[in-house]
Amino acid sequence: MKPLVLNTLLALLALALFLASLGVGPAELGLSESLAGLFAGGSEAAEIIMREIRLPRALLGLAIGFTLGISGAVLQGFLRNPLAEPGIVGVSAMAAFCAVAVFYSGLAGSSLYALPAGALVGALAAVLILMALAARSGSTLTLILAGVALSSLSGALTSLVLNLSPNPFASYEIIFWLLGSLKDRSMEHVVLALPLMAAGWLLIALSGRAIDALSLGEEAAQSLGIHMARTRLLIIAGVALCVGAATAVAGTIGFVGLVVPHLIRPLTNRMPSVLLLPAGLGGAGLLLAADIAARLVLPAGELNVGVLTALIGAPFFLWLVVRSRREAF
Amino acid sequence: MPSGTVPRQERIPKNPPLKRLRKSGRILCPVAFSALLFAAFAHAASPARVMSLNLCTDQLAMALAAPGQLISVSFLARDPGLSPMHEEARAYPVNRGLAEEVFLARPDLVVTGTYSLHNTTGLLKRLGFRVEEFGFVQTVGTIPGEIRRMGALLGRERQAEAIADRFETELARIEAEQCDVRPMALAYDQNGVALGAGTLADSVLAAAGFRNMAAEEGLQGMAPFPVESVVSGRPDVIITSSGDGEAPSLGAFVPRHPAILALKGARIGAFVPPGAWSCGGPAVIDAVKALARLRQEIAPCEVAR
Repeated sequence: MKPLVLNTLLALLALALFLASLGVGPAELGLSESLAGLFAGGSEAAEIIMREIRLPRALLGLAIGFTLGISGAVLQGFLRNPLAEPGIVGVSAMAAFCAVAVFYSGLAGSSLYALPAGALVGALAAVLILMALAARSGSTLTLILAGVALSSLSGALTSLVLNLSPNPFASYEIIFWLLGSLKDRSMEHVVLALPLMAAGWLLIALSGRAIDALSLGEEAAQSLGIHMARTRLLIIAGVALCVGAATAVAGTIGFVGLVVPHLIRPLTNRMPSVLLLPAGLGGAGLLLAADIAARLVLPAGELNVGVLTALIGAPFFLWLVVRSRREAF
Repeated sequence: MPSGTVPRQERIPKNPPLKRLRKSGRILCPVAFSALLFAAFAHAASPARVMSLNLCTDQLAMALAAPGQLISVSFLARDPGLSPMHEEARAYPVNRGLAEEVFLARPDLVVTGTYSLHNTTGLLKRLGFRVEEFGFVQTVGTIPGEIRRMGALLGRERQAEAIADRFETELARIEAEQCDVRPMALAYDQNGVALGAGTLADSVLAAAGFRNMAAEEGLQGMAPFPVESVVSGRPDVIITSSGDGEAPSLGAFVPRHPAILALKGARIGAFVPPGAWSCGGPAVIDAVKALARLRQEIAPCEVAR
């Protein structure tokens, strides 16, 4: 499929799901009421619900889905590892742990700004560890196992910090950090995370030509004039920025970055750079759809969206592992 | 923190208050036969060493115990955000509700909540300790009965009668002041959890002249209440926990969601003194008073009349 056609179709899908996301919620607003609330200022309640509750949620679903999709695509391309993804290799989990450590310790009062500050540091540390490992061993398995170890350790430390908090309610928030949610987010969260995510997308996009060349192997890429150190820096900073910011406001949402690039790759010419934008758009679509389902399945209590993405993604991961063994990646 | 010691009467399954009243009635009925005989009996039977393992029994025991009678209270009793008697609690040693602590202290009587520290209670009973449990699904109407029951257990009937009587008088006075103007209130806690029908807060709101929005929307007990429903229900008053001095949590941001703060005309604040309605104890009257004052301020009865 031509990239333009593919991107247009995926953008339309994401847009449709974005609008559907705006229509879902416990307050039963009609279509005209919702539109009036969003644009023209209908009743006060409709206006507040649309602008302060549903719009930030849909925006975050879009942006975080885009982040996870594009990060998965760039990590798979750069590491030449079909199983790489921010969730599986432990970037999200480390980001969540550091956000939790900074926020719940009360070092920054109870300011929301503590969350991205911690999460960016965690994501950066995780990407650096993975890059170092990947540089020393080219094996697919080593990286994934290291990611599993990093995820488990971060998850355990996250639970530990939350259990140690003197606030009795903090331990209930373990589930948010481990399984992610877009519940009760506000424009504050959008303002906090969107600029950081956008900066990350830009850095990842700048690495596009380099990861194409890298698909021919590192030496071939260098002979084509690709500056390896610069590429590595762009990808480290880009993934750390966008995944860190996404995790700071929505917790750990896994598998989106794994599933989407694999589903979309057969529709492209398989050049890693061509996959970046469609993977982002597809990720946005998948997360928005999962978030809508999370609200519809359990209207009062609400499911954590990470539960749904894991239900889709974990079997897919297993299938990839089986297939990759057969094809001896 | 062991979840069982958190003073949430709402987390506890239904326990018919009538049954408890009947039980306390059994203990109190000798009063009707002979005050003198009962006083002598109670004096002889009053336990010398009493230990309280639950924030809610702490409050009743501290209010009623004779000097030196109460040998320890739960560690939560010193928490200013949860316990209205946190200053008094500094005078007592604290326990963490562990069976070992009880075993070493050898009290004559252990008082605790029915559903808190379930295993500990069973273990202590097997070890032969006398354990008296207090249920915590309560309303303002059942509190005087609880005060009298604790008084009877401690052999301090006279003090209990005075406190219970004062509670009843004040409650009756406040309830008599109410009129048909009943603003809509919502008790909205951390994580977007509201206090619905059957909770202590529900009865406090009713006594202070408010309607409880969560109960009218069909919420039973303590249950999640979406921010969207808060906005579309447009309550006149939103009562949040003060959260001052607490360690940070994300749940604390939910009652402060910009969508709720954007509601014009809604009064949002703690209003209730910290911990005053987390337990069915004498301090509940302070919550009733504070809310009745607020009700009078935002919707005066005189105008309606």
